[in-house]
Amino acid sequence: MLDCALKTDKLNLYYGAFHGLKDVDFCVYRNAITSLIGPSGCGKSTLLRCFNRMNDLIDDVAVQGTILVNDEPLAGIDIIELRKKIGMVFQRPNPFPFTVRENLVYGLKVHGYNKRRYDEILERCLKAVGLWEDIKDKLNTPAMSLSEEMKQRLCVARVLTVEPEIILLDEPCSALDPIATLKIEELMIELKRNYTILIVTHNMQQAARVSDYTGFMLLGDLIEFGETSKIFTSPADERTDGYITGRFG
Amino acid sequence: MSSNKAVFKERIIKQILTAFAFSSLLFLFLIFAFILVEGLPLFYKAGVKNIIFGMKWAPTRGFFGIFPMIVSSFLVTFGALVIGGPLGLGCAVYLAEYAGRQQKMFLKPALELLAGIPSVVYGFLGVLYIVPFIRTFFGGSGFSLLATSIVLGIMILPTVISISYDALMSVPRSYREGALAMGSTKWQSTWRVVIPAAKSGILASCILGMGRAVGETMAVIMVAGNALKIPGGLLDPLRTLTSNIALELSYASGDHRLGLFSTGVVLLFIIMVLNYFANFVIRRTVIK
Repeated sequence: MLDCALKTDKLNLYYGAFHGLKDVDFCVYRNAITSLIGPSGCGKSTLLRCFNRMNDLIDDVAVQGTILVNDEPLAGIDIIELRKKIGMVFQRPNPFPFTVRENLVYGLKVHGYNKRRYDEILERCLKAVGLWEDIKDKLNTPAMSLSEEMKQRLCVARVLTVEPEIILLDEPCSALDPIATLKIEELMIELKRNYTILIVTHNMQQAARVSDYTGFMLLGDLIEFGETSKIFTSPADERTDGYITGRFG
Repeated sequence: MSSNKAVFKERIIKQILTAFAFSSLLFLFLIFAFILVEGLPLFYKAGVKNIIFGMKWAPTRGFFGIFPMIVSSFLVTFGALVIGGPLGLGCAVYLAEYAGRQQKMFLKPALELLAGIPSVVYGFLGVLYIVPFIRTFFGGSGFSLLATSIVLGIMILPTVISISYDALMSVPRSYREGALAMGSTKWQSTWRVVIPAAKSGILASCILGMGRAVGETMAVIMVAGNALKIPGGLLDPLRTLTSNIALELSYASGDHRLGLFSTGVVLLFIIMVLNYFANFVIRRTVIK
């Protein structure tokens, strides 16, 4: 039995009166890539944002059920520690409007890392996302001057600086062109050796290409969850079949 | 036929509105023209250096030095900024980042009201409370650089707050989310990400606040003491450029009157420079 880095049990979420997640039992396996697919508004991003409590930023959200992080109840984990342990990359690259270097040391400052370690961490993280060679002489240029793909890589590197175990990616390629998308996908596969990855994507081919496990969501339900190859070749539920063959969604 | 008539009507309305819009430009031009026509000849007659760097203002005896007033204007403006800047920024940060809907509903109209209070009322309260307070606790007459800075600091609050607030609100939500998702506290994300991201707008709010402080007249006359020298300390009285014009115009004639217009030219120049910088800073933000 593989172990779950993240696990939910009968997870329900309400936006006011709207039932956003319905009895979701889900698991993100360690050192693997798990993807969530489904049509817009199905709750996949909402589910992802449960794990680092980003839904807290929205008024009127109520969560019921259990979420476990490394078998520990999420409710008992300090939010700062939680978000350090579980990093997040957003849909649109969102580097801060500062220099590359300032972007990367932000998390280190916030979490009180020793200044003497900055350079070593910076280099390690930029190498991990394949930016080091391109960018090592440009650490003091504005992050906004980078290409969209490099910005997104920088955002991944920024997350890596504070040594997370799990990385959540919320449609990380939707603002990128196809070539940049492929490069980010290669990066994800590279990263899964050291990190557990959960990715939300509306791009089914992407889920098929990169992920080991796939969950299909529809209207707040997790319809089907299993190995990617199985979901895409012989789905058990006819709604999954309908979605992946393009009959709706 | 009737559609032709409608088109014609539209065109007339557009032209009338255009004329209205450009009339403000005309007023601006007229103000410039009058001040320059009246103010510049004295610069020629008495010498630019003698006016701008002259230490002595005795216009009936041919001394038109306004240097102490220029320095005083800058001092009170700076003082207003020292007091109103941090206070205004703090308020804007609270409104933009921390206040709930209810607090905003209460605070925003209150700030608009603050902006709408006539300056004479600020001056009045300054004379009644701030000046005696300073006299009692710090010494001197109370009519001072300190009193003026406090009154002006409060008066620039609405400008500083509303523009800083807009700047903070225009910081994309994704920066805040990015910062919070890194595990920063609300204050860390505000202080290290949101405020730096809004810094041009905040700077612009301070420059525009300075413009307001430089130009303020009534309240300043009431609390500044209006002495004709460069203040040696916080508790010394002073006279600003605007006060000089307002205090003396009613009885000035001849070169004296021209001297006041020259004061106006210098004032206009300072305001233009401040506005230029504010626009420059704002434009840079918009492009970015």
